[in-house]
Amino acid sequence: MRHMKKKALAVILALAVPSVAAAYSYTVKSPFPGTVTATTYYSSGTFHGALDISSGRCNYWGVETGVMASLSWNVTIRTSGVYCNGTGSGTQNEAKHAFSNGRTFRLWHFIKTSDSYDRTCNRCQVGNEGGTGNATGPHVHVQYDQSGSNLTGWYSGYTTKGEAVDRSETIGVIN
Amino acid sequence: MPRFLQGLRAFGGLTLLLASQPAWSTSPAALPALRAESCSVRGLMDQLREGLRSNSKAYRDYLNAVLREAAVSLPSGELHAAFDRETDPAMVEQLAAALVARSEREAEKDAIQAVARRALEDRDPSVRAATVRAMRRTGALEKTGDMYERLMRDGSPEVRMEAAQNLIEDNQYVYSAHHGPATDLAVNAATASTDPKVTARILESLDTRKMGPEAGQKLLGMLGHESADVRRSAALALGSVPAAQMGPAREALVGMYRGERDAGVRKALVQGIAELGFADAVPELRKLRSVDPAMAPEIDAWIRALESGVQEWGLLLREKQRLQQVR
Repeated sequence: MRHMKKKALAVILALAVPSVAAAYSYTVKSPFPGTVTATTYYSSGTFHGALDISSGRCNYWGVETGVMASLSWNVTIRTSGVYCNGTGSGTQNEAKHAFSNGRTFRLWHFIKTSDSYDRTCNRCQVGNEGGTGNATGPHVHVQYDQSGSNLTGWYSGYTTKGEAVDRSETIGVIN
Repeated sequence: MPRFLQGLRAFGGLTLLLASQPAWSTSPAALPALRAESCSVRGLMDQLREGLRSNSKAYRDYLNAVLREAAVSLPSGELHAAFDRETDPAMVEQLAAALVARSEREAEKDAIQAVARRALEDRDPSVRAATVRAMRRTGALEKTGDMYERLMRDGSPEVRMEAAQNLIEDNQYVYSAHHGPATDLAVNAATASTDPKVTARILESLDTRKMGPEAGQKLLGMLGHESADVRRSAALALGSVPAAQMGPAREALVGMYRGERDAGVRKALVQGIAELGFADAVPELRKLRSVDPAMAPEIDAWIRALESGVQEWGLLLREKQRLQQVR
């Protein structure tokens, strides 16, 4: 009986001690107050593989990077000016962080402001909610991808289509 | 009061009226009078001081996290004054972390300068080390000028090692090894250090894939260092240099292998050569096999791993380890 107890304790300890090589993970908060308008699939059934969040207001809310950590952000401005309903595929403004594991976190479609520049920060603003690039209305597209494939597990279980979110709301966890 | 409520009371930045007693409890006359309580930096510090004595690491971590989140809405003047007054290293670290958080969240961009100043100038090495820790995994290396090079020359080994750890973790977690200037700064700091342990610590953990040519030259120079630890870590760091620097790095590692006497350094040289060439390194490794018979099993393991066709360095390292274990 004593041995069984010891064995059981050993198993519990083995399960409880985290692996040394455990990956680091980051919580992601909503970039601004709004509603999740699309997740893995559009209502048409087409694959989307990312989160779309919209407040319905153009050039009003500042878009924060959302990831709860100090990270170096690379901001690419492809379209200057206030656009709310799309400027064509591939012309979206983008903020991204490329992780050393080959995965990249991206925010698309924001309007360029004086905050749209490369820097290292924790949830800083990189522009205003808008519709640059391939968009039919103001929103932010939040994507985590690897080798050209969009990952969906990072937000599954954290948010769903139709959920109202604010900047304190966790919309996913990336690792 | 449960701890989580104490935390909320301390960090909420709100004036909380303690919850009134439910109707089924004892009569109001028997209870202490309820008082409104204002939260302030001083009150927060009292809660922190008490909380940091807790045996629960989870609770201490919770306090740290809540403080960093609340830092944005704390009154700046009071926070700076409290930081300047405080002398207990544990509390200094917390207050410094709050100031750094204000800077990182862009609530007060220059707040980190006060922390950097103290990291360089405080008389107590434990306080200097604590403030350096508070800047870990932040953008401090972009925002603090030559602080890290100066910290490398700090009189306290503890401070030097904490600074080294910052450079490693900032490059790994903040810049994800994709920011050349951050890598260059780490290499410059490592080469500026007169403490071989610190130099070796930084270089052995550094991913140099975005390193600039000037820092690359400095790294090559470290191969001639008198400390075997530094030579070993420089050889490992050279394994991941950008494509433009691979040729000179490979020549340097191969050339050095023949004259090197330290077995640990030789292992690192072989690993650096393998990482630079992947399968293309096999002919070179075969040539080096005869230089030192004692290294033949190590080189054979690398050759077998490289010939397996695995294309990712992390997987290659694992494959090589597996092959050595099943031998």
